[in-house]
Amino acid sequence: MASLRLLIVCSMLAIAGAAHAQSATPGGMPPPPGMSLAESAAVRFPQPVRVGDLLGREVLRPVESQDVLGRVRRVVRDSNGQIMVVIDFGGIFGFDSRPIAVPVDAMVLLGHDMEIVAFTPKQLQQFPTFSPSGTTDVPNDTFIKVGLAKPSH
Amino acid sequence: MRSLFRPDLPPDAAVLDDHKPLIRSLDRRGLIRGGLSLGALVMLTGCEVRRPEAVEAALLAISRFNDGVQALLFDPNKLAPTYPASMILRPPKFNAYYDVMDVKPVDGATWHLEVSGLVADKRAWTLSDLQALPQTSMVIKHICVEGWSYIGGWTGVPLRLFLERVGADLRAKYVAFKTADNYPSSIDMASALHPQTLLALEYGGDTIAEPFGYPMRLRTAVKLGYKNPKWVTAIEVTNKYPGGYWESLGFPWFAGI
Repeated sequence: MASLRLLIVCSMLAIAGAAHAQSATPGGMPPPPGMSLAESAAVRFPQPVRVGDLLGREVLRPVESQDVLGRVRRVVRDSNGQIMVVIDFGGIFGFDSRPIAVPVDAMVLLGHDMEIVAFTPKQLQQFPTFSPSGTTDVPNDTFIKVGLAKPSH
Repeated sequence: MRSLFRPDLPPDAAVLDDHKPLIRSLDRRGLIRGGLSLGALVMLTGCEVRRPEAVEAALLAISRFNDGVQALLFDPNKLAPTYPASMILRPPKFNAYYDVMDVKPVDGATWHLEVSGLVADKRAWTLSDLQALPQTSMVIKHICVEGWSYIGGWTGVPLRLFLERVGADLRAKYVAFKTADNYPSSIDMASALHPQTLLALEYGGDTIAEPFGYPMRLRTAVKLGYKNPKWVTAIEVTNKYPGGYWESLGFPWFAGI
C-alpha cells in the first residue's frame, strides 16, 4: 500500500514537473526597477493592434491563475495625450464593476487577452473611477502599439 | 419502500459459494495490477516504484509507445482545418521558454540557413534565396500543449518543396532544426512533407515580426505549438533521433494534432 501511494505521488510529481517546465521564466513580470512605464513597454516588443480589436477583451492578472480583472471598455487619449485603456474593473460576474483608466504602457497583449503588468489589484482598487471629461476616444480603426508577454502559467 | 428493481426471485446464495476463489482474488491490489494505467506502470517498472528513475523510464517508455501509435495513425494526405483570413489574430500570441523581454532579434540581412545531413546540396540559404522560392499561405490554428490556441495566417515555402530543392533523402526519418534562441526541435519526415508544413516568412501578409521568429520559423498545422521552432538557423535531415528542447524535459516527441 505504501509503495502504491509513493507511485501515485511520483506520477503526480512527474506531471507537475513537466507542466512547470513550460514556464521556465515567468511571463508578464512587472517593470524592472528604475524603468518608466514607457521604457518597460518598449522592451516588451510592442506590436501594432487595432483599437477596435481590443474592445471587449478580457484583462487578466499576470499570475498562474490568470484572474480576470475586467474587460476593455474603451481606449482614450487623456489630456496629456497619453493612451489609456478604460477597463470595467472589479465586481462579481460583471456586476458592481467600475471603469478605471490604465496607461496602455502598463499593459501587455497575451493573444486574445490583455494583462496589467505594472499594477497589482490592490493598487488598481485605488485608481479613481474614470471620467470621460478632458479625454478623447481613440477611433476603432487606429493602430496603437502594445507590448507582449508570454503566458503566466 | 421496496425497490422497483428488486427481482421477484432473489438469487440463490449458493452462487457465492460456487465462486468463492474468484471473489477472494478481487482484492484492491489485484484490481490495480490489472488496470491499464498505474497497473501497467507497476508491471513496467518491475514493481520497483521506490526508484523515481524507474518510474520515469516507464513513463518515457509509454510516451515513446504513444509516439509510435501517433506516427502510425498519421495520414500524410489529411489536411488540418483552415479558417477565413478575417479570423487571423493580429498580432499573434507570443510564447517561448523565456519571457518576451529576453528575445534576441535576428538580423535578416546577415542571417543564413545552414543545411546539413542527408541532402545533396549543403549550400547555405539567405533570406532572399528563400523569398525567391514559390510561397504558400495557410490560415490555421496554433494549439499549445498548455491548452490555449489562436488562429494565425502564415505564408512561406512548403518544407516539402525546400527539401526537394536541396535534394534531401525523403526516406530519412527526421528533419531537425536549430534556432538562434537555442531551441532545438525535430519532426518526422511524414509531417515535414505534409502540405501544411511551411518555412514561414510572413504573418497576416506582413513580414513576421521579430518576437515571432523573424526571419524564418517553422509552422506546421499537424503538430502542437512547441514543435514550431522560431528563428530557425539550421535544418538537418537525419536518421539519428535528434530530440528537442521540451522533449529532453519529458514532453512527447511526436506531438501530433
